[in-house]
Amino acid sequence: MAEFVQAVWGGILVGSVYGLMAVGLTLIWGALRLLNLAHGAMFIVGAYAALAMVAVLNLPILAGLLVGVIAAGLSGFIMHVVFIRPVLGKPGFDTATLIATVGVSIALQAAALLVFGPSVKVVPEVMAGSFTVGGTLITAQGLLVIAVAVILFVAINLFLRFSRHGMAIRAVSQQMEAASLMAVPVERTYAIVMVLSSALAGLAGVLLSSFFYLSPISGFNPMIQALIVTIFGGLGSVRGTIVAAYVVGTLGSFLQVYLGASWALPGVFLFIIVVLIARPNGLFGLAEARRL
Amino acid sequence: MLEVTDLHAGYAGSEVLHGINLQVGDGEGVVVLGPNGHGKSTLLRVLSGLIRPHSGTVHFDGQDITGWRPDLIAAAGLVHIPQGDLLFPEMTVLENLLMGAYDRRVWKERKQRLEHVLELFPWLIERREQLARSLSGGERRMLAIGRGLMAQAKLLLIDEPSLGLAPAITERIYASIGAIKHTGLPILLADENANHVAELADRAYLLEMGLLVRECSAQELLQDETLLATYLG
Repeated sequence: MAEFVQAVWGGILVGSVYGLMAVGLTLIWGALRLLNLAHGAMFIVGAYAALAMVAVLNLPILAGLLVGVIAAGLSGFIMHVVFIRPVLGKPGFDTATLIATVGVSIALQAAALLVFGPSVKVVPEVMAGSFTVGGTLITAQGLLVIAVAVILFVAINLFLRFSRHGMAIRAVSQQMEAASLMAVPVERTYAIVMVLSSALAGLAGVLLSSFFYLSPISGFNPMIQALIVTIFGGLGSVRGTIVAAYVVGTLGSFLQVYLGASWALPGVFLFIIVVLIARPNGLFGLAEARRL
Repeated sequence: MLEVTDLHAGYAGSEVLHGINLQVGDGEGVVVLGPNGHGKSTLLRVLSGLIRPHSGTVHFDGQDITGWRPDLIAAAGLVHIPQGDLLFPEMTVLENLLMGAYDRRVWKERKQRLEHVLELFPWLIERREQLARSLSGGERRMLAIGRGLMAQAKLLLIDEPSLGLAPAITERIYASIGAIKHTGLPILLADENANHVAELADRAYLLEMGLLVRECSAQELLQDETLLATYLG
């Protein structure tokens, strides 16, 4: 019983973490057909911005959280204006943006190294405290991450489904020309997606850097894991990505608890490979068409 | 309402339109007739901003809109219902219609606009929750026109509404366009076939090899059998 509680808790927590990172990646892919390899850099931008607020300016961590999210969103916007927008719709868009986002990522990591140094840091918890359920330690910060993730997933789905701007994002991703004939400003819609996605990565950065250590390269692993989850869920499908995040998180957690930590990663990968052989477009990726 | 002067346009390296002069007045139905591949779609795509003209000017509703972005032209009230419908395939019929009302000012009145469009195409009511990609050709065409009507258009550009449709459905589509015209909305229609458009059109232009070679009233057009035989088969 204790093991089961441990596995479920770990699964939901890790799934929420994966999801926070992966939804942003999938949004950008769905709307712009762009693989954003600077997503991990937005993660550390958020985390370091929050750390600077707390450690240097002695502000409460909630202010740090807010600044972190804004800093990451702003970085995404600047990256979009400087590197993505000029090549939109031009031949070679895929390679140009792939290289540009890697470049932005390296530059931001180097900046973090210069400003904060190579030593690992810890961002304080937004909520301290913990209690035990059936032998499993439940932290308040963990509960917060889960709550924030679930609320955001619901909010993003509602936004895409019902709001004017959310519908415009789907319209642009499905039929760009028609969207522009419906008076949708395509470039501004892309900018909204970039800001939203980067802000989500920044939020994940602030929340997760209290569990894990923060270093200039600590955005890389969450990004790769998010990328795997995104491909598994069906690139560009927000709902698929969210489901995939919890499936992968829960599977990994159960394997870890019942078979040992060394089985978790190989087990998860084996499962994903088998599913992708059966469904090459991922869980929810019904061919090319099924997108946002 | 719309005034096009000496418009030259085309694609990289090749000019398709070699100096188009054309007017559409208030409440007027104007048809551009011509065989495939002579520049009808290119003309409409230039007018709605999807293609930038090489030279010439487009004036619409008192403004020079030459070279404007398509979203700004659409917001100004020049609404293009494109060839091939270009629906949003993974959105429902209702969502497709709502996208037509995207412009902030129109969005506030989307409920009234929706009622208006559903009156014209009552068939859409039953299908409102269906995904656009699951519709038949005729249904898609009606949705495309309905979506264009959701915008607060001052002039509608319609590109070959009969393309790929069975004759029975074609008649219904032209009847709906006729009903739209009767509401006083000016229409610029590009078509291959003169038979259907005579009742909609006050005037017609003949487009050949990227040039408007003749302008006439709709009656003249239908009576001139040599002309019909030559240009329109």
